Amino acid sequence: MDTNPSKSRLKHQQQQEQASEQQITSRAGHEFASVEDLLRYDAKQTALPPAIAERLQDSLKTEPPPKRSWWQRLFGI
Amino acid sequence: MHHATLKGAAWSDLYEQHAQHVYYLALRTVGDPTQAEDITHDVFLKAFRHLDQFRGHSSVRTWLYRITINHCRSVQSTWQQRNIVATDNPEVLDGPSPNMEDPLRVLEVKELGQRIQKILDALPAEYSLLLLLVADEQLSYQEIASLTEQSADAVRGKLYRARKAFITEFQKTE
Repeated sequence: MDTNPSKSRLKHQQQQEQASEQQITSRAGHEFASVEDLLRYDAKQTALPPAIAERLQDSLKTEPPPKRSWWQRLFGI
Repeated sequence: MHHATLKGAAWSDLYEQHAQHVYYLALRTVGDPTQAEDITHDVFLKAFRHLDQFRGHSSVRTWLYRITINHCRSVQSTWQQRNIVATDNPEVLDGPSPNMEDPLRVLEVKELGQRIQKILDALPAEYSLLLLLVADEQLSYQEIASLTEQSADAVRGKLYRARKAFITEFQKTE
């Protein structure tokens, strides 16, 4: 098991490079180097519905202010 | 977004930076845009209520994803218990509206989105989740391992099989 996040990220990148051997082509002719690339493209094309922010704003109006943890107080969040 | 009760900028930044990622994970996990909207709303509401419990041991993204995964599981389990199939909802079949104005591209992207959803639905849930998490470049293998409660080595092994399974299903839909 990796304990070092930077080492883990490096391996992550290496695995993504290996994954790139398996290229995917969409019906529209887009080529994706890997499954991850395809999903990233899909994620980017997926719009966040603005209604969520509006609903959340309404819901938060009735919420009491959250308790702040030590790190939030420290960073002034 | 403006929240008078909060130090607005920090909460607003948190939403701006992570909401789209939370929504996408929820959408592709439950496959229903309306449910994904509800889940995203609930995740941020929970996050707001439990801000004091965030210790900073993990990244904010990981923390929000953990809430999202748990909430998706809860929603899915409720659906299964009620044995409801939401195929009468046209949005489930059409998918959410893509992020663009060109009608041809909209159609193309919608079709690709529907195809991806079908494939993810056909895969074991664990494989779909791993693929969605690894596609987020902000997460390390260690964080994915922590979110899915297994070792990083197990994640690597399963990801290899998940990618193969995804490609097999992708080819079936061609």
